[in-house]
Amino acid sequence: MYHLRFLLLLSLFFASELVAEQPQRTSFINDVVPILTKAGCNAGVCHAKAGGGQNGFELSLLGFEPELDYRHLVYESRGRRLFPLDPKQSLLLTKATAQAPHGGGVRLKPDSPEYQTILQWIQSGSPYQIEDDRQLASITVEPASGILQRGASVQLKTIAHYTDGSTRDVTRDSLFESNNIAMAEVTDQGTVTAAEIPGNVSIMVRYLGQVSVYNGAIPLGIKNIEFPANKNFVDELVFQNLERLGIPATKVCDDGTFLRRVSLDITGRLPTARETQAFLDDQAPNKRDTVVDRLLASAAYADFFANKWAAVLKNRRDDTKDIKANFAFHAWLRDNLLAGTPYDQMVRQLLAATGTIVANPPVAWYKRVKEPKQQIEDLGQLFLGVRLQCAQCHHHPFERWSQDDYYSLAAFFSQVGRKPTDTAGEDLIFHKRGVAQATNMKTGKPIAPRALGDDVGEIPADEDPRLRLADWMASPKNPFFAKALVNRYWKHFFSRGLVEPEDDIRDTNPASNPELLAALERHFLDSDYDLRELIRVIVKSNAYQLDAIPLPDNKIDRQNYSRYYPKRLQAEVLLDAIDQVAGSSTSFTNLPLGTRAVALPDNSYNKSSPFLKVFGRPEAASVCECERVQSGSLAQSLHLMNANDIKSKLRDSKGRIQQWITDKAELETIIDQLYLAAYARLPLAEERRIASEHLRTKADATVGQQTPAASELRSNLQDLAWALINTKEFLFNH
Amino acid sequence: MNVIATDNHQRINPTQLAVRVAMTGLMLLSTLSVACAQSVILPAPRLLTLTPMGGTAGTELEVVIKGDSLDGAEQLIFSNPGIQAKPKVDDKGNPVANHYLVTISDDCPVGVYDARVMAALGISSARVFSVSDQDEVTQAKPPTTVDNAMPVQVGQIINGVLTARAINHYTFTGKAGQRIVVDCAAKGIDSKTQPVIGIADASGGDLQVQRTGGVIDYTLPADGDYLIKVHDLTYKGGQEHFFRLAINRLAADAVVQRLPRIRSVQSFSWPPVGLVHAATANEQEPNGPKQTPQTIALPCDIAGSFYPAADVDVFQFEAKQDETWWIEVASERLGHPTDPSLVVQRVGDDGTLTDVVELSDIASPVKRSSNGYSYDGPPYNAGSADILGSFTIPADGHYQIRMTDSFGGTRNDPSNRYRMVVRKAQPDFSIVGWALHMGLRNGDRNALSKPIALRGGALIPIEVVAVRRDGFDGPIDLKLDSLPEGVTATGLTIGKGKTRGILLIAADENAPRGLEFTQLWGSAEINGAITRRQGHMASMKWPVPNAASEIPDPRLLDQFPISVGGVEQAGLSIVPEVEGELQATVGDKVTLSLKLIRRGEFSGSSMSLKTFGSGFEKAAAMDFSLTDPKTDVVIDLAKLKTPAGKYTIAFYGGAVQKYAAGGSKPNAKTKDIVDIFVSQPLTINVQDKEAADKLANKTPSK
Repeated sequence: MYHLRFLLLLSLFFASELVAEQPQRTSFINDVVPILTKAGCNAGVCHAKAGGGQNGFELSLLGFEPELDYRHLVYESRGRRLFPLDPKQSLLLTKATAQAPHGGGVRLKPDSPEYQTILQWIQSGSPYQIEDDRQLASITVEPASGILQRGASVQLKTIAHYTDGSTRDVTRDSLFESNNIAMAEVTDQGTVTAAEIPGNVSIMVRYLGQVSVYNGAIPLGIKNIEFPANKNFVDELVFQNLERLGIPATKVCDDGTFLRRVSLDITGRLPTARETQAFLDDQAPNKRDTVVDRLLASAAYADFFANKWAAVLKNRRDDTKDIKANFAFHAWLRDNLLAGTPYDQMVRQLLAATGTIVANPPVAWYKRVKEPKQQIEDLGQLFLGVRLQCAQCHHHPFERWSQDDYYSLAAFFSQVGRKPTDTAGEDLIFHKRGVAQATNMKTGKPIAPRALGDDVGEIPADEDPRLRLADWMASPKNPFFAKALVNRYWKHFFSRGLVEPEDDIRDTNPASNPELLAALERHFLDSDYDLRELIRVIVKSNAYQLDAIPLPDNKIDRQNYSRYYPKRLQAEVLLDAIDQVAGSSTSFTNLPLGTRAVALPDNSYNKSSPFLKVFGRPEAASVCECERVQSGSLAQSLHLMNANDIKSKLRDSKGRIQQWITDKAELETIIDQLYLAAYARLPLAEERRIASEHLRTKADATVGQQTPAASELRSNLQDLAWALINTKEFLFNH
Repeated sequence: MNVIATDNHQRINPTQLAVRVAMTGLMLLSTLSVACAQSVILPAPRLLTLTPMGGTAGTELEVVIKGDSLDGAEQLIFSNPGIQAKPKVDDKGNPVANHYLVTISDDCPVGVYDARVMAALGISSARVFSVSDQDEVTQAKPPTTVDNAMPVQVGQIINGVLTARAINHYTFTGKAGQRIVVDCAAKGIDSKTQPVIGIADASGGDLQVQRTGGVIDYTLPADGDYLIKVHDLTYKGGQEHFFRLAINRLAADAVVQRLPRIRSVQSFSWPPVGLVHAATANEQEPNGPKQTPQTIALPCDIAGSFYPAADVDVFQFEAKQDETWWIEVASERLGHPTDPSLVVQRVGDDGTLTDVVELSDIASPVKRSSNGYSYDGPPYNAGSADILGSFTIPADGHYQIRMTDSFGGTRNDPSNRYRMVVRKAQPDFSIVGWALHMGLRNGDRNALSKPIALRGGALIPIEVVAVRRDGFDGPIDLKLDSLPEGVTATGLTIGKGKTRGILLIAADENAPRGLEFTQLWGSAEINGAITRRQGHMASMKWPVPNAASEIPDPRLLDQFPISVGGVEQAGLSIVPEVEGELQATVGDKVTLSLKLIRRGEFSGSSMSLKTFGSGFEKAAAMDFSLTDPKTDVVIDLAKLKTPAGKYTIAFYGGAVQKYAAGGSKPNAKTKDIVDIFVSQPLTINVQDKEAADKLANKTPSK
C-alpha cells in the first residue's frame, strides 16, 4: 500500500514536471472523451456495455458521464490504466494501439493526432478539466442542408459552440451517421457521397453528447414535370417536393384500382363485385370522394383500425381468462373509432383509465402494461413517437432525453392504485391519493412529474397525475403527439412514414418531407384530432391515388411518394379477401360465423390459424407495428398453393363457385364476376380468352364449345379462382 | 300421515311425493348426472330459467320454467303477492310439466321479484321475474341474422335469449329526429350474459354500440328501418343467457329510466335505518377546489353527482374542537360503478389545507375469497367502495370535505350520483347472511347458491356478517322469526367487536313438509336499549361447479324462505349428548360426547370436525367417527383462552355421502357427494374459577 502511494506521489510529481514543460494543456472532457467516443471505446458493444463494460473496464455510453469515466480511467484498478512515469506505456494507449493484447483491436494509430492528444493529456497530469476549460453548448454542422447531386460529395464540418462564445472545428472527433445508406454514405471524417436514389437524406452528427443534422436533397433533376392537379395541401406538398427533386409522378390510377386500394386501406376488405361494378358505372365526378366517405362511415373501418390499434396496445391473450378483457378492450377501440371519438380523448381515456375492465375497458391496458416504466416506454413510442428505453439507464444517445426525463415521465404513473378483482391477474385501477413522484434509479433522487422536459405545474395529491399528462399530450403545443399519429397514419396508407421508423421521431431522424408532416399535424389539430378527417384528407388526395406501376424515371424513388408503393395484404386482410372471392367464411372460436379476420379481438386466433401465423399476424407482444411480418416467404407461397384450408374454401359447398354451378350461370358472367371480386376490374381480352378456354376444358383436356359437365366446370372454376388468388395482383394492394 | 302445507294451501301426501320422485327416477338420474358433475352438496331444487322473464302488470301469461331437481314441483311462487301462478293444464285437465299460467295484478309495481318453485325436495333457489308497465313480447327463437330480424315496436320490452356465437337482431321503424333509448337488463335479472347492445342501419351496419352496461341514447338520423343488435360480450349463449330489451322513444329532455334490476350484496348496508328517502340538500356546482366551495353546516345530508369527468366537490363548514362526526357516503351501493373517496381538511386562515382524515372503502366484514382453487372465504363483498368513517375536529375552525370518485377521472356520466350523510354518532349495524360453503380444494362453489331446503334431520348453517356503524361494537344476537313446523334456528352470536356469526337452521328428523318465509333479525343493546335490525339474505345466482371457469355472481334475495321437503332425510346427524347447558370452568379441558345418527352410507370411517361459535373457531380440529355411535371430543378452553360466559357452539365438517335419490333403498344407484354436516348446537356455560369454587363450596355434596 505504501509502495502504491509512493508511486502515485512520484507520478504526480513527474506529471507536474511534465505539465510545466507542456505549454498546451488538454482536458479530459473536451479533448479525451470525444476521442474515446470516436474510436468506439465507449460504444454499447465495447466498454460501455451494460453490466460492467468490457473486461473490467467500464465507460459510460458515448461519454455521457465523463466524471464516471474519469474515475474509472484514472483511479480504478489502482490507477493501472495510466502510467505517468512513462505515459506511452499507459494501458490506455498500449491497448488502444494494440501494442498490448486488446479484444477491440486497433482503435488508435500511434502517429495519429488522437494518440498524441491522449499522450499529451497523460503527460500533463491527466486533469479532468483545465483551468480555462470551455463548456460545450451546442454543435452545428456546415452546411446544414443542401442539394447533393447523385454521385456527388460534400464535406461536412462540425463546429462546436462553447458557453464563452468561442467555437472550434471538431469535425475530426465527430461521429457521422447516414439515416439511409442506400441514398448517401458518410465517411468517418464527414464526407457525404450521394448514391443514385433521389430523395431527402440526413446525416446525424454527434459530438460530446450534442447532435446536429445535415439534410441533403438528392435530386433526380428532371425538369418541367407535369403533376396531377392539386386536390388539397397533401398534393401541393408532395408534388412540390417531387418537383424540387425533379422526380416525375405517375398518373392517377384508374377507378377500379382506386376502389380496391381505398377499400383495402380503410376497411381491410376488397370491394364486392357489385360494389365495383356500381362504382365503375357511376359517372359522378366526385364518386371517389363519395366512396371514401362511405367507407369511413362503415363499421368495417372501425373493425380494421381497431385491429391495428389492438395489436400495438398489446391486447394479448395469455390465458383463457383473458377473453373477457380482450374482447372488451378490442370492442372499446372499435366502438370509439366507429363513434368518431377524437384521438386525444381516446388516448386520455386509455392513459387515465380507472375502474374495472368490464365497466371501463381501457383499464385492460393496465393489465398488459403493468409497470410505470413499461407504461411510459409504450406511451412514448406509441403516442409520441419517442423511444425512451435508452434513457432508463443512460442519456439517450441520439436524443436529448436524460434519465431525469425518463423518471419524471414515469412519475405520472406513480399514483396508479390497483386492487385485485375476482379474475386472477386482473386488477381494478384507481387513483391513489398522494403526491406523484418517481425515483431516479441512478441518483436515487425523487423526481416530480415532468412531461419530456415540459413543466406541467405542481400536481396536488388529490389530482390524478395521468390527467395532467393527458392534458399535456393533447395540447396543441405538444410537439410530439399529433405528429406521431399523422406519421403513423401516413405510413398506413403510403407504406412508408414521412419519418421512418414511424415511431422514432427525433431531430436527428428528420422527415423526408418536413413541410408535409407539419401540414398534416396542423390539419389534424385543426380538426380536433378527428381521425376520419385525417384519413379523408390523405386518401382524397391525388398523391394517394397515383398509379402503382412506376415510370422509368421514378422507379428508383423509395421515399417521395411519386407513385403508390404496393404492399402485400396483411394476414387478416388476405384471409378475408380469399374468403370473399371464394364466397366462404372462416370459423373463429367464440365468434359468430362470418366474423372477418380483421375483426378478431386478439392474437389467440393465430394459434388455430396457420394462415394467420404464416402471413405474419402479430402476437401483440410489442408496441411496434414492425411486429407484423409483411415480408414474403416460401411458406406463404406454399400455403397459398397447397394448403388444405385454401382448397377447402374454393370447394366450399356454400361458396361462390358452387352457387354459380347451381345457378347455371353464364361462363362469361362468371369470369367477369371473379375478376371483379379479386381485382376490382373486368378481365382483359386476353385474360378472358384464357379463362374461357380453361373453363371449357373437359376432363380429357379437350376444349369444347359447350359448357362442360358440372363437376368439370366446378373443378375448372376452382382452378381459375386458385390461379387468381395466387397472383401478385391479388396478393398486393397496389 | 303428514300432510304438507304450502303457502297456497295445496295439500299433498308426502308418500305421493316420494313416489312421484321415485317414478321420475330416470329424469332425476339425469338431473343427478349434473349434480354429480357438481360433486358438492346434495341435490337441491334450483330454478334456473323462466321464459319469459317478465310480464306486464295487469296481464296473464304462460311461463315455462327450467331447473335442477325440480321434480315434484307443485307451485311457482313469487315474492310479490300481486303475481300468482297456477300450473297449466292440458285439454284433459292434466298439468303440463313446467308450464304455469301467471297472473300479474294491475297494481303490481314495476320491479324485479324473486320466483321460486316448491318442489319435492323443498323450496328452490330464486330467479328474477320482472314486472313492467309496457307491452312485452317474447322471441320464439333467436333471430340471429339481419334477414330474419324479429320485428318489434318502439315501446315494447323483448324477452330474449342469446345463442352462442351469434347476434340477435330486432327491427323497428323510426323517423328522423326521434330519440330512441335502448336498455338491456341481463346481469340485473340474474342472466349470465354481459350484454352488448347496438343500434344499426337496416343492413346491419353499426351506428352506436354499448358494452359497459349503459343505455343507447340515439337520435335517428333518417326515416326508415333500424336494427337493434344484442349479443354477449364474448358471444356466449344458451338458456342461461337471457335478457330483457326495452326500446323506447323519449322526449329530448326526458330523463332515462333504467329497467329495474336486483340489488348488489354491497347495498345491504344502505340506507341507515331512519334515513329520509331523499337527501335534504343538493350539491351546488361549481363547487370544485378552483371554484367556490359549497358552504354547509353539520350535520348534513347531501345528494350529488360525480360529474363531469374528474369532478371534485368541496363542502366547507365550521366545526369545534373535539367534535366527532361520522360520515357515510353511498354511491356504489346505489348501483353506480363508482369508488367515492374523500378527505377532510382543515382550512387555514391563509387557505392552506391540512389533512384531518382520508376515507375510502368500507372494508368487507370478512376476508373475501380469492376465487382460487381452494375455498378461502366467502366470495361475497359485504364491504363496499363507498365510505363509512369518522373524523374528530382538532381545533375550532374552518374545514372542508373534498369528495371525488376514484374511478371518475375520464368518465362523463351525470347518472353517477352519490349521497353524503354527516352525522353525530348513531351506533347501529346492518347484517346479511348467506348459505355457508365448506372449505374445499376443488374450485366448486355450488353450495353458495343453495336454497334452504332441509331434509329431515339436516342442519344448514348460514354465515351472517355485519357492517357496524358509528362505533357500535357490541354483540349481535341472530334470530329468525318464523319457521316451518319441526324446524329450529339457533343464532350463534356475532361477538363483541366481531363481524361474523353463524345461524344454524335444523329440521327434526321427522319434520313434516312445509314452507315458511322467514326474516333474519339481529338484535343488540345500543345505548341501553335493545335494537332489532332486519337482515338481508344473499345468494349466488347460479350453481358454479368450477370457479376457474365461472366467477360466482352474488346478489341480494327478496325473501328468505325455509322449507322441509319431507321426502328425504339427511345422511347423518350429529347430536351432542348433553342435558341442558354444558358447565365448564375457565381453563378447563371439556370432554363431551357426540352422538352419530346415521341414515345413509358414507365414504371413510371418520370426518374432521371444526367448531362454530364466537371464540371457538380456532379450536383444534377433531376426529368424529362415522362408524361408532358415539365419539368423545375435547375442547381446550385454556388454549382458546375462553373467558367466563355463555357460548353457543356447534361442530361441523365435510363428509362424502353415497347418495341415492329418494332415500336409501336396496341396490339403489349411488353417487359420491360431499356435503357439509353440522351438529346440533349446544350451550357451554363457562364460569370463572372463583365463581365455580364458590358454587362448589355452596354445594353440600362438595
